[in-house]
Amino acid sequence: MLTIHSIIISIILIFPVISGVLTVLIKRKAFSNFMLNLYGVLHFLGSMYLIFSNEANFNKYFTVDNLNKIFLLILSFVFLMVVIYNNGYTKNLTVYSNRKACFYSNAVITFVAAMTGAILATDLGTAWVLVEATTLASAYLIYFNKTKSSIEAAWKYVFMCSIGIALAFVGIIFLNISSGGINSLNYTELSKNAQFFNIFWLKLSFIFILFGFGTKMGLAPVHFWLPDAHSESPSPVSALLSATLLNSAYLVILRVFNILNITGCSIYGRIMLAVMGFLSLFVAAVFIYHIKNYKRMLAYSSIENMGILAIGTALFNGAHYAVILHLLGHSFVKASFFLTSGNILELFETKRIKSTKSIMTIDKNTAWLWIDSFIAICAFPTSVLFISEFLMIKKMIASQHYVLCVLFVLLLTVILFGMGKAVLNMVFNKSGEEKFEMTEKNKEKLSLSMYIPQTILLAIVFILGVYIPPFLHNIINMAGISMLAGF
Amino acid sequence: MENGFVILFGLTMLYLAATSRIISHIRVLVVQGILLFLICFLGYKDTPLLNLAFLTAETIVVKSILIPLFLYRILKKTHAKRDEEANIPHFYCLVISSVILLFGFLTSNYMASHNSVSALHFGVAISVIVISLWLITIKHKIVSNVIEFIAMENGIFLLSLSVAGEMPILVNLGVLLDVFIAVYILGLFVKEIDKEFKDLEVSHLSGLKDYED
Repeated sequence: MLTIHSIIISIILIFPVISGVLTVLIKRKAFSNFMLNLYGVLHFLGSMYLIFSNEANFNKYFTVDNLNKIFLLILSFVFLMVVIYNNGYTKNLTVYSNRKACFYSNAVITFVAAMTGAILATDLGTAWVLVEATTLASAYLIYFNKTKSSIEAAWKYVFMCSIGIALAFVGIIFLNISSGGINSLNYTELSKNAQFFNIFWLKLSFIFILFGFGTKMGLAPVHFWLPDAHSESPSPVSALLSATLLNSAYLVILRVFNILNITGCSIYGRIMLAVMGFLSLFVAAVFIYHIKNYKRMLAYSSIENMGILAIGTALFNGAHYAVILHLLGHSFVKASFFLTSGNILELFETKRIKSTKSIMTIDKNTAWLWIDSFIAICAFPTSVLFISEFLMIKKMIASQHYVLCVLFVLLLTVILFGMGKAVLNMVFNKSGEEKFEMTEKNKEKLSLSMYIPQTILLAIVFILGVYIPPFLHNIINMAGISMLAGF
Repeated sequence: MENGFVILFGLTMLYLAATSRIISHIRVLVVQGILLFLICFLGYKDTPLLNLAFLTAETIVVKSILIPLFLYRILKKTHAKRDEEANIPHFYCLVISSVILLFGFLTSNYMASHNSVSALHFGVAISVIVISLWLITIKHKIVSNVIEFIAMENGIFLLSLSVAGEMPILVNLGVLLDVFIAVYILGLFVKEIDKEFKDLEVSHLSGLKDYED
């Protein structure tokens, strides 16, 4: 039966086809941009309706349940902000023909639609197909600048993620073996029958699924594509990759972890998640300490935060609220951070930290956005990340994991130091006169729409640290509870 | 009969490991596609017509015609003919692959007690996946990497055949589409890389790093 919900989901998922046909027929830069904006607004409104109406289970293949509500909320909001930023960003592109605009808009729209599908999927198989589709849709976006390094990044991205996802499929086949006669990959079916599963195959399947989707999520030691892809893609795309794509892969891992949890062997999954989480923190700390490229720095920071999410999931009962809060906070801050890095790249035309100096004297707004994003990502109060990380540390102490707690804090401190050094140098160090002329000229290119989205995102992050509105608290709480207790 | 084809499928990996001409690698993919078709056809006599039609289309049309043809056309346009400088000499490649295949057969021996899985399919599929992954790490030409990626996908296909419970047809269709598009995109990138770097060596793709020279 057709309900409003399934119509909305269909519109969100079918829009790429419509826009693809129309933009190819019309092939005008302005029209392609219009379609992208239209999709941003439609996606946001549709998602809000889906999230706030209280009907569940309205489609066989796609649904909004307690767990994926928050993921959809993050995706739609970040996407809307990115679309607003994108209007200013594309105006400044030197090589942006009608054809290129058409490809770019359609790739972004398909990418977001695939992510939405992966988040809303009721079925592990469908989620797999759509997560792989996100890789394919975003390949062009990473190769957008058509330089030697961007082709290298895109190749690594597509190749590594495809292999990772292929291994995840092996995991799904093992899950199928484990489930015996159920012959379904529907999450609800799986969790309903989970206690009858063959434990050996289930554990084996979790390894493959964790590594497979972990590749997409950017967990060490399978994170290698991430810094390259994030640093080479255009800034709005980097923001989408970091703030939304990694989350969709995380959701799938969470769903399978949930099944493992029901069978009573969650400790096995928790150990693996914790190991990968700490490894991610370690990798991020080592590389951020000596980082030379600010976009790569943000990419490593994404690896760090994915590691924190994995650790939070491993901490399990008691940290679930913190995990969801961290997910929300990280997505918003990282989107703002990457978008601001777009402004800096526009001003200085380089990604080298050493060549980027005295942003404060050149462009105060960008400088403050840069510093505020840094403060927010490093979890200074009143950033919402402060609360989430504080809760996780509290949980570690309460469950007497003192060594892990010390390690966690130590690695975060190293990362904070590395990032702080880079960010403060970039903002306050004095630059030579020759740069000044170029940056003054470039500053005129930055329009208002390249400041507003970051300001909104950061404002939300800092306000949430003090006050979480009841509706959001409810959504986060429900997601946290369903992390523990099935769907 | 069906088991014979499964074993042959495993043996094609040895050929892939021991040869350096890329055109023969593509031919191996054609053979693998046909073998998979035969395995499907013989093992799935009782399946519904729609499923059988889909599996036939997948193995014959996509795996043994479209993908190899596409790779062949790319190969003609690029500078890569042989993948000679693999990290390990071909003889040792052959030995190591044989050992992995042997472990595959041992796994199937172990699996024989498991009812819901056909043991030989499982063992061979696992060894094909492992050999492909290992070959990806030692080969030097990116076009070989794509070929081994497809071989791995073929292994995964065999693995999914080994499981009694089938995937829903929609998922199968999605998987097929994804793999096809992935190969297509990788193929396009191969062409672009050849244009940009005038060669298809993997070692060229090491420009992005965290330190400065």
